[in-house]
Amino acid sequence: MTRSWPEGIGSGSPAEEPEIDAHVVEALRALDPCSADEGYWSRFRAAVLRRAAPELARRRLAARVTVAEVLASWARTVVPTALLAAAIAGVVLMKAREAPAPRPVDVEEMLVAGMEGSSIPATLGGEGTDAGAVTFAMGTF
Amino acid sequence: MKTSEPTDDAELVRRTLEGEESAFGALVRRYQRAAYAVAVSVTGRHEDAEDAAQEAFLVALKRLEECRAPDRFGGWLMTIVRNRARNLVRRENLRDMDPMPLGARSTTRPPDRSTEDAEMRALLERALAELPEVQREIVLLHDMEGWKHREIAERLGLPAGTVRSHLHFARKALRKVLEPMRDPSAGRKAR
Repeated sequence: MTRSWPEGIGSGSPAEEPEIDAHVVEALRALDPCSADEGYWSRFRAAVLRRAAPELARRRLAARVTVAEVLASWARTVVPTALLAAAIAGVVLMKAREAPAPRPVDVEEMLVAGMEGSSIPATLGGEGTDAGAVTFAMGTF
Repeated sequence: MKTSEPTDDAELVRRTLEGEESAFGALVRRYQRAAYAVAVSVTGRHEDAEDAAQEAFLVALKRLEECRAPDRFGGWLMTIVRNRARNLVRRENLRDMDPMPLGARSTTRPPDRSTEDAEMRALLERALAELPEVQREIVLLHDMEGWKHREIAERLGLPAGTVRSHLHFARKALRKVLEPMRDPSAGRKAR
C-alpha cells in the first residue's frame, strides 16, 4: 500500500499556511493509539472513570447533605451540651437557695456593731424611770 | 449519547462538582485525545503520555474547585497535562540518569497494523523530536486532534498569529521528513 497526498501544499509564509494539510494529517494519524487499537479510547475513559470513582462518590455524598442534615448533625452535639449546661445551672441555683438570706440591718445597728457597752439610751422615759421626768443620757434631772 | 451531552463545559464542570459520573465521563470523552496529544508532545512516549493524561484527569477532578473559569476547562486541563507530563519526564530522566532525546526512546505501543505504519511512526517521532515543544503541541492539536487555530490560541494562551506561525514551521519540518514517503520510489532510492 502506498500513501498519496494532495499536491501543491503551501510551504510559503505562515499567512499562506492552509487550514488543512491532508499530507500531515494523514501522517499524524499513525500516532493516534486508536489507529492500531479501535477500542483504545473507550478503555482509556473507562480506566479514568474507574480511578475517579472514589472522588466522585465523595463529591456525591457532599452534594447530598442538605441544610436540615447539617442542622441535625449540629444538634447531635449542641443538644447534649445544652442539657449539661442546664443541669449545671440548676445545681448552682439550688445551692444558692439553700444559703440564708441576709437580714435587713438599720443604720444605728451598723454604727454600733462590734462596739462594747450599751446602746444610746432612749431620750424619753421608759421602764424604771420617773414618770413624767425627762430622761437624757444617763442622768435624771 | 451525543444528544444528551451538553455542549457547555461549564455545565459539565458544575455537574462533576456534584459527583455526576456521566458529566465527568463527558469531559473525559471530550478532552482525552487532546490531553494525550499534549502529553505525547512532551514525553514523546505512548505509555508516559497515557499515564500523564490519565493522571491529569484525576488531578483535575480533585482540584475542580480551583478551576476559576469552568467554561475554559479545556485550557486549564491542558496546563495540568503539560505539568504532569513534564514531571514524569523529569522523574524518568532522574531514574534512568540517561536523558534520551524525544523519539530516541523505545516505544511500546499497541502493535502496528503494518510495517508501513511502524515506519511512519518512527519517522514522525524523530521529526517531532526535532521540534520545539510548543510546535509539537500545536501541530498535534491541530492536525491530529482537529482543533482550530482560535481554540488552540485560547487554550494555550497564545495569540492566534503565533499559533499559525508555529503550525507553519512545524508542518514545514514534518513535510521535509515525510517527503520520501510521498514518493515511495524516491524513498527506496534514498535508502
